[in-house]
Amino acid sequence: MRKIVMALAIAAVMSGSVATSQTAYAAQSSHDTNVYIQPAVPIGPKVQMLDCYGTTGSMGCGPGWVWRDGWRGWGCYPC
Amino acid sequence: MKARTMAGGFAAAAVMTVGVAVGGFGYAAAAPGDFSTLPVDPNLITDSLAYNAAPSVFNPNGRPGVETVYIHRDGSRQITSTILVLPDAKAASAALDGAKAELAGKVANSKTQPAAVGSGGTMLTGMSPDGSKSVTVLSFAEGNTATTLEFDGAAEDPAPSDLVLELGHKQDTAIRDWQAS
Repeated sequence: MRKIVMALAIAAVMSGSVATSQTAYAAQSSHDTNVYIQPAVPIGPKVQMLDCYGTTGSMGCGPGWVWRDGWRGWGCYPC
Repeated sequence: MKARTMAGGFAAAAVMTVGVAVGGFGYAAAAPGDFSTLPVDPNLITDSLAYNAAPSVFNPNGRPGVETVYIHRDGSRQITSTILVLPDAKAASAALDGAKAELAGKVANSKTQPAAVGSGGTMLTGMSPDGSKSVTVLSFAEGNTATTLEFDGAAEDPAPSDLVLELGHKQDTAIRDWQAS
């Protein structure tokens, strides 16, 4: 009799555990909270063109141009 | 007494009438021989403060006209504007030829190319005889005027041709406006 009670108790505990885990699994699968992140595309090294003096330029003068006081006064002039 | 007063009044009116007829009411018009408004300030095509004008020289070397020197604020560049006002277009053309011949001996390694400014426009580029300066000269005639614009700068910094032509066009326009006034 005592063995029967113990066996029933163990069976009850095990069945409850299984049922609970199934419920949890079901809940998890219906509300997927995983966030998928798009793999980042590898970015190559940025190229910063230099002005005539080997610096990154000033006053908005682009590559190949330099800011100086020339024939037209202050402005961007070609190198 | 009354008759004398009236006579005086008529005389004064007659003098005023003759004065108006001869001189006209053209306050804005340039008086004959007034060349002060002829030169075009290069600051019109710069950042507006780049050049300082020296006092104009009227009738340079005894020739009717005006010469003005504009010096860059850093002292490394100079623009000399010389405008001769001659009796007619033929005299202006002859003066232009003379100026070109004079420049040919003044500029080393010179190159001359036609310039679409005024009449007979040419642009001469080269160096000073000692090689220390770049020299660019734009010369052209317009009616009875002969103009030379000389740009002197550092040897490695000659005047850009677009600036030379732009100032030349503005000077040509100013001369035509002056002639029409």
